[in-house]
Amino acid sequence: MFNRKALMFGYSNTTKFLAENLTKELHYLVIIVDDEESYQEAKKAGYRVKLLDITDDNALEELDVAEDDYLICVMKDHYINVFLTLSLHALFPKTTIIALSDSYHATQKLKMAGATRIIDLYQVSANRIHNILTKPVATKLIERLFSPEEEFSFKEILIPKNSILDAVMVDDFDFSKHGIILVGMIDKRLSKQFIFITSGLENRFDIGDTLVCIGYNDDLNKFEEYIKGKEDES
Amino acid sequence: MLKELLIQYAFFLHGSKRYKNIKTTAYNFLLNSDYEYKKYFDIFMISLIVVSIAILVYEVKNPVPYWVDFFDIYLVTVIFLMEYIARVWVHNDWHKQVVKEVGEAEFLNRKVSLWRPSKETLKGKIRYLLTPTAIIDLLAILPAYRPLRVLRIFVLFRVFKLLRYTKSINQFLGVLASKKFELFTLLFLLVFITVTAGIAIYVFEQNENENIESIFDALYWALITISTVGYGDISPVTPEGRVVSMMIIVSGIAMISFVTSVIVSSFSEKLDELKENRIVEELNKKDEFMIICGYGQMTRMFLRYYAKEYTNRYIVIENDKDKVDEAIKEGYKAIHEDASRHDVIKRFNLQYSNITLLALTGNDIANIYITLNAKSLSRKIKVIARARTEKMIKKYQLAGADSIVRPNVIADRMLYTAITQPVMYKAIYAILTGKNMALLDEINLSQSELLVGKKIEELELKKQKLLCIGLQRAGEEGEFIFNPPVETTLEEGDILLVMGRKVSIEYFRSIYTKVKYV
Repeated sequence: MFNRKALMFGYSNTTKFLAENLTKELHYLVIIVDDEESYQEAKKAGYRVKLLDITDDNALEELDVAEDDYLICVMKDHYINVFLTLSLHALFPKTTIIALSDSYHATQKLKMAGATRIIDLYQVSANRIHNILTKPVATKLIERLFSPEEEFSFKEILIPKNSILDAVMVDDFDFSKHGIILVGMIDKRLSKQFIFITSGLENRFDIGDTLVCIGYNDDLNKFEEYIKGKEDES
Repeated sequence: MLKELLIQYAFFLHGSKRYKNIKTTAYNFLLNSDYEYKKYFDIFMISLIVVSIAILVYEVKNPVPYWVDFFDIYLVTVIFLMEYIARVWVHNDWHKQVVKEVGEAEFLNRKVSLWRPSKETLKGKIRYLLTPTAIIDLLAILPAYRPLRVLRIFVLFRVFKLLRYTKSINQFLGVLASKKFELFTLLFLLVFITVTAGIAIYVFEQNENENIESIFDALYWALITISTVGYGDISPVTPEGRVVSMMIIVSGIAMISFVTSVIVSSFSEKLDELKENRIVEELNKKDEFMIICGYGQMTRMFLRYYAKEYTNRYIVIENDKDKVDEAIKEGYKAIHEDASRHDVIKRFNLQYSNITLLALTGNDIANIYITLNAKSLSRKIKVIARARTEKMIKKYQLAGADSIVRPNVIADRMLYTAITQPVMYKAIYAILTGKNMALLDEINLSQSELLVGKKIEELELKKQKLLCIGLQRAGEEGEFIFNPPVETTLEEGDILLVMGRKVSIEYFRSIYTKVKYV
């Protein structure tokens, strides 16, 4: 579980999906709405919900937002969504803002308004159609990796203190022995950027690096435990 | 005995793949405008016609060498004759009629008659022979008969043969045919004025004007005047004649303007249709193409990113004219039609092309109907449909959609990943959008046969900075092996899933893709 909060603006099917799935991942999640009807509906559904005028900066300022929290803008009206993103960015410039867009032009505006990540409803679908047409097998795999019911998935694994991976060169470690594939990592020493393993850089694993692996869930969990090994041995 | 032999022969033809292939090829060259190579045949025939007419014109004043004459009489005519016979041949099938007759006779327990199918076939062929185009074909062959020099003029019928091979002339005639009523009305008016004016000038000037000796001269003058050509060989000499002359000049100008406006307006009415037909015809010549139904946000986004990859291999069908205009303005190929209509999808080359249909309208009912319409015409069409709600998925599946895309679900999952696993989100996003650094691509072993029989470890993927993610075994029921062991042997038809930079994948492909010689 993350020690982070998420504030979701707007009440829709997307909000419901996120609220249901994020409860396990985040310690605090609140839905913020600007109309009484949505407020009552969300409350009835059992979610933590707040009613406020989201065009009012003073009301927004009063929200308890920390730098590593998430602000999720999924308002139905894209004019308000852009305006909200802009207001939140002005008030909490260092906080991650994730916004949902439904057109190319809205995406451009959200970018300019300061959204950290924008998920364009139609762009992801357009990519998906293109992938179905050109890479059907790969698309099926990606779909399975995304699906929570599947037995294999992506996983972020943090190299803990005293890990057996500490100071090991990437090329010297055989991931296939563990049935998993290392896709990439964030090498804390070099930068905070994600590096794909296929980019050809010769990296070294260090404590605090984050690995992104794919594999069967059991294998991924076992591997996560395995790399803590050094600590256990000591 | 002979009857049995003929029946056996008919069944032999009916079962012969070779015969069927030959006839289909002949049909494609002669009649199938969607056939890729038909245009070469048409160009060849047009060239023969042009050469033949050029020889006729040259011959008027100059003696032609023997070989030119030989070429014109024998070669060109023999080719025309062969084409004529081939057209009669492909028009219908005698053996099919015989097989049908045998089947019916057995069912009804009656005697097989060879006369009935032969009569039906013959009737069909005669009906074809009496069509204007078949008559023109026949007349175009006649000039080869040298004893009758007058037949040389039939070479001109070869010009009419051009109608078969040039779509523009046919389209022009088609447009004129659509205004048949207006044009016939004008023709009637023209005849009426010409005859009236001709009679008037004949009455007024027959005794005064030495150039008007008969009613034919008078009608000739009237026609030349009304058409505003006015050669001047006959002109009125009496005041009455001049009045008639003035009147028909004015009505002539009016009529020419009227005819011009009728033709122009019919062209402007038909212009969109002609353009759309041209787009569909061009597309039908491709081995594979895509029909995108609906021009909404989803189609816009798809084309914005991928139109270049599918250049000349897609068409947008939209039933809202404003949206069609918008798509055309954006530079996309779009036509104003309703994709849920049977005849609209039927216009495409369903038999020979691999068609993918994207049902992307914002309405589930419309998308399901479009899917059903396409699948009812051909199961071969691959349908990718957009669904708005979970409840609709089952219906899309029942309608036969091959893949279903739910924009909201994909976006929700992306949002979820962006919050819970931000590092991974970047990786997944890059993979999904096919970024150069992390392309997840497929190596199809039917195209890279040098890989067949090799073990994964032999491919030295690590050395080439590639990751082997999975292996899809051949066939529809083929197993998918995620993260396959390195000792796995690759087999014919397998698809290897690799991840890496675009350049690494392209290099890997270039090593293992060799031209296949058969």
